[in-house]
Amino acid sequence: MARFIVRRLIQMVLVMFAVSLLTFLIFNVIPNGDPAVRMAGRQPTETQIEAIRKEWGFDDNVFVQYKTMMEKVLTGDLKSYFTQLPVGEEIKKGLPRTLSLAIGAAILWMFVAICFGLYSAMKAGKFADRFLTIIALIGISIPVFWIGALMNYYLGFKLGWFPNGGYVEFTKDPVDWFYHLILPWTALAILFIGFYSRVLRSNVLDTINEDYVRTARAKGLSERRILVRHVLRNSLIPIVTLWGLDFGFVVGGGAILTETVFDLQGVGQYAAESIGQLDVPPVLAVTLFAAFFIVLLNAIVDIMYAYLDPRIRLQ
Amino acid sequence: MATEPLTDQTTLQGPAAWEAEAAREKVHGIGPWRLGARRLRRNKVALLFGALFVLLVAVCVAAPLWANNVAHTTPTENHLSDTIQVNGETKNVVGLDGVPIGPTWHGEFFLGADPNGRDIMVRLLYGGRNSLLIGVTAALMTTILSIVFGLIAGYFRGGSDAVIRSLLDILWSFPVVILGVALGVALALGGLKIGPISISGDSLLIPIFIIGVVYIPYMARPVRGQVLALREKEFVEAARAQGAGPLRIMFTEVLPNLASTILVFFTLLIANAVLLEAALSFLGAGIQPPNPSWGTMIDDGVDRIATAPHLAIVPGVMLVLTVLSLNVFGDGVRDALDPRAKIRIEH
Amino acid sequence: MGKMRRRALVLLVAALSMLVIAACGDDDDGGGGDGGGGEAKTGGSITISETSQPDYLDPALSYTVNGWEPLSTVYTGLTGYKRAEGQEGAQLVPSLATALPKVSEDGKTYEMTLRKGLKYSDGTPVKASDFEHAIKRVLNLESGGTAFFLGIEGAPDYVEAGKAEADIPGIETDDASGKITITLTEPDGSFSNVLAMPFASLVPGDTPFRNLTESPPPGVGQYKITESVPNRQFVLEKNANFPTNLTDDPPGNVDKITVKIVKNAQRQAQDVISGELDYMQDPPPADIKPEVKAKYSDRYEEITTASTYYMFMNTRVAPFNKKEVREAVNWGLDKPALARLFAGEVTPGCSFLPPGMPGYDKALDVEDCPWGNPNEPPDLEKARQMIKDAGVDGMDVTVWGNNDDPTDKVTEAYADQLTKMGFNAKPKILDGGVYFQTIGNAKTAPQTGFANWFQDFPHPKNFMFLVDGKSIQPTNNQNFGNVDDPEITKGIAELNLQPEITDEVAAQWQDLNRKLVERAWVAPYGHRKLATFVSERMDFDNCTRFHPVWNNDYTSFCLK
Repeated sequence: MARFIVRRLIQMVLVMFAVSLLTFLIFNVIPNGDPAVRMAGRQPTETQIEAIRKEWGFDDNVFVQYKTMMEKVLTGDLKSYFTQLPVGEEIKKGLPRTLSLAIGAAILWMFVAICFGLYSAMKAGKFADRFLTIIALIGISIPVFWIGALMNYYLGFKLGWFPNGGYVEFTKDPVDWFYHLILPWTALAILFIGFYSRVLRSNVLDTINEDYVRTARAKGLSERRILVRHVLRNSLIPIVTLWGLDFGFVVGGGAILTETVFDLQGVGQYAAESIGQLDVPPVLAVTLFAAFFIVLLNAIVDIMYAYLDPRIRLQ
Repeated sequence: MATEPLTDQTTLQGPAAWEAEAAREKVHGIGPWRLGARRLRRNKVALLFGALFVLLVAVCVAAPLWANNVAHTTPTENHLSDTIQVNGETKNVVGLDGVPIGPTWHGEFFLGADPNGRDIMVRLLYGGRNSLLIGVTAALMTTILSIVFGLIAGYFRGGSDAVIRSLLDILWSFPVVILGVALGVALALGGLKIGPISISGDSLLIPIFIIGVVYIPYMARPVRGQVLALREKEFVEAARAQGAGPLRIMFTEVLPNLASTILVFFTLLIANAVLLEAALSFLGAGIQPPNPSWGTMIDDGVDRIATAPHLAIVPGVMLVLTVLSLNVFGDGVRDALDPRAKIRIEH
Repeated sequence: MGKMRRRALVLLVAALSMLVIAACGDDDDGGGGDGGGGEAKTGGSITISETSQPDYLDPALSYTVNGWEPLSTVYTGLTGYKRAEGQEGAQLVPSLATALPKVSEDGKTYEMTLRKGLKYSDGTPVKASDFEHAIKRVLNLESGGTAFFLGIEGAPDYVEAGKAEADIPGIETDDASGKITITLTEPDGSFSNVLAMPFASLVPGDTPFRNLTESPPPGVGQYKITESVPNRQFVLEKNANFPTNLTDDPPGNVDKITVKIVKNAQRQAQDVISGELDYMQDPPPADIKPEVKAKYSDRYEEITTASTYYMFMNTRVAPFNKKEVREAVNWGLDKPALARLFAGEVTPGCSFLPPGMPGYDKALDVEDCPWGNPNEPPDLEKARQMIKDAGVDGMDVTVWGNNDDPTDKVTEAYADQLTKMGFNAKPKILDGGVYFQTIGNAKTAPQTGFANWFQDFPHPKNFMFLVDGKSIQPTNNQNFGNVDDPEITKGIAELNLQPEITDEVAAQWQDLNRKLVERAWVAPYGHRKLATFVSERMDFDNCTRFHPVWNNDYTSFCLK
């Protein structure tokens, strides 16, 4: 088991290295033009541009450039050339917002998905099942930014039932914090509810036909007990692992759209704005951070799976 | 369902029914494809949505017909200072305060105009062309690359498997949206220049390439998994014993068995690709102005939601309908080909 | 405890003296809507918004409206402007100096004396040598405002040497007497205006040589910055040490102004409507404007600014290197159409110099426009013919613009218009943050695209430098069209030597403006109106003042 974990950790490091290399290539190599001029921000002077060139090694070859950039990232010395602000600070400011969005939405979608999926499975083939399936399919077909924008305007501004976008810090006012996040949570959850409820439904249907369930029924256990004890628990395992991956996905950038629409000023929005300005330091930092999150959650999920399934462990 | 007595076949529904039917069919020896087609035919809802998708595609393909013969304009032509006759009244296409006209339900400006005075219906149809073209081509690209990667990794295992798995891991770990937006912005600025190949910044190939690449791990992994399993099957052993080379085996034995997986994935990939294209365009990293796409139209529409809500609602509804029809139909195909739903998109 | 009591006492004295001044002071508002009269209520706090973080919160570096609007209430220079609306507000007045500069016969020497007893917001006394330090910061930090001060003797050498503490021979100060003498290498008629720019505001002599956005230095102003969280908000609070004898600079009314950065313009407007925000810096976006105009016109006003919106045409690349082509574009440019994209906030026009600027010619904006009345549809046929005759029809043209609203739409419309004129024009939209650097870089060699300019100060030089052959530079070029007309360049240089803008001098600027327009070096299409939009609780009628240079004057804001 320990060897497995170590192997996964090494893999993690290698993947992070590759991701950083890729990001570097995308921004420094692909676009034509002078990266120093782009990075120099507003009204750059020749001396500024020269200084940037020297500092980031644009005159050196690609490998040295990459090394210089990674040094900056790892020592935390990353400053956005555009706003002159330290990138680490900005990420720290945005992180609680992104996490609030991701965690809240994740809880919401899991809860609703389990309800929908279970009910759908119990009424398999009947109208309720078909209806919920269509609802779920609609859910995965709706673009989150579209529904988010519509909700924000009609429910937020027009009807005034909810705040008009924006974010309130939890430490400032927990109730207002919650109130501001209801619409973003809903928008983000809609997509995943659709998906997860259907996965749960098919998992439940599969498990229900398993032998041990039939045995339990033969033994005389009540339906409810069977459902909860055996069926649900076993159906949930793949769900939970998927959940872990998706959560990493959301934090790792899936929240960009929701944050932008509701103006939550989280890490995702920060990344999106920086990308538009071709501001490399923040994009690099956020990308690595997001990748780290995804990789970490992947590793945790894999390790959990290995723990539960001895066959994989012993591979 | 759990309370249905298993012996009463006439009241069975759902997967168990299909199981029983499959057992029946097997006796008569009907192939899996015809079986699937039969099941699909019975699924009225899936067929309905499949037809809807075809209709939407047809309408979008016919965009030039509408543009030239009914609306008499192009998707990029501005009509800022023009006036039109609506029910006998002369109205500004775009008012002096910048508010565009709403749906006229006539040939010109059928669904109204955008703030530049462009015909929404025309842009919607041309935008659909762009979105669908990108979606389908990207899905195609993903499918082909996934098959290649999945086959190589699953069949040969060992070294090439390790390499491909690492590649997929890296791609998988890269935050999808950030990767898409970063590539989109970077490439839109200066285009792509690799050796002799030069693609301009506003070419459709760029979003196609990005979306195509981004989805590879989602399909390659399951394909690889299936190849791994298939490879151990008897008919593959037999072919090997007969002296067939790996390439031959892959094409004649493995690939056909992957076909149902591939088909289902392909359908669902198109849906996801269309959604991702809209998301990228919404963030300004997809299709570049003035070319329309449903994503850019939604982006523009959200800015005018108070005075001209049709700008945001119309393309959104089209997008949802298209993606939904693909999803429902794809779902139906999956149910028809593999009722036990072994194929699942690991999201 | 003692400190607080003392501060309270100071505030009390300040408040009392304000009341005394207010009671005795003249009610100098000429019309409706500008504050300054004795009816403004003081006290309270308000929350306002800006759409993006100011480029810098450091007076030596900031060069945008975002920055100048708040900074003009925190920092003051030797000269300043009367805090009034319209033409009155364009008047130069002495601020920290006792009188306007005494200019020598040859126009190269400026003498001023610093007022006595001035203190920064943190209590530090203001010294004459602080002025030189402030200028050094501008030059040493390679600020966007550097160009304005290179005319000072020794300034270019100072920049070259790169040593922060080196001396600038052209600035001599004497802390004891408060005397400040500036020597220029050649006369510059706009220099007194330059002294009024935030770049030249005084800051303490020990202010470090680095970007102080996160902790701005103290200044002499009605307000001081007490908190700065970049990209989120910054806070202005009333400065107790603001001198009461700067009669042209009335003290602020509200005690505290929280400036929030809210990226979404629609949200800002909605929040001002609902009262969550008290004021938004940008005008309400086109989507919300109709509602604002219909329901909230009692707290909304549009004001014409000294600005010009134009399309630059790069005279160094095809097809705009041909004069006929540039003329054709001017003939075919649909100005009223573009105005609609600004929701009516752009008044169509042909003049390059804007209204309110000496040298502005109203006739040029209407009946005298060489390309036809700008309020009428353009002569598209003529444009098409001219382009055909020039042999460039069908040519590929990239039209540059940025993604600020509505610039991107304007760029798309312009591209469409060029296509109607016969080109194969496509827009290319860049992010607003990188746009001007990119088109100002010679390597980009853009053909044509969006440009605009809002006056930095009411002197024609500030606009004409955009079309001055001498101001062309390889990076950070503001003369996007690389306009290089020897007669115009010479005219600018000569007129700039004039120490004062007399009627005769103004007429000569007018003539230069006319030549520029007639020769089709640029394609102007109008001048922009900005807006003042405040919440219900703000006193709109008495306490909003739109200044021609500073925009909305925060010192005028007050609650009902």
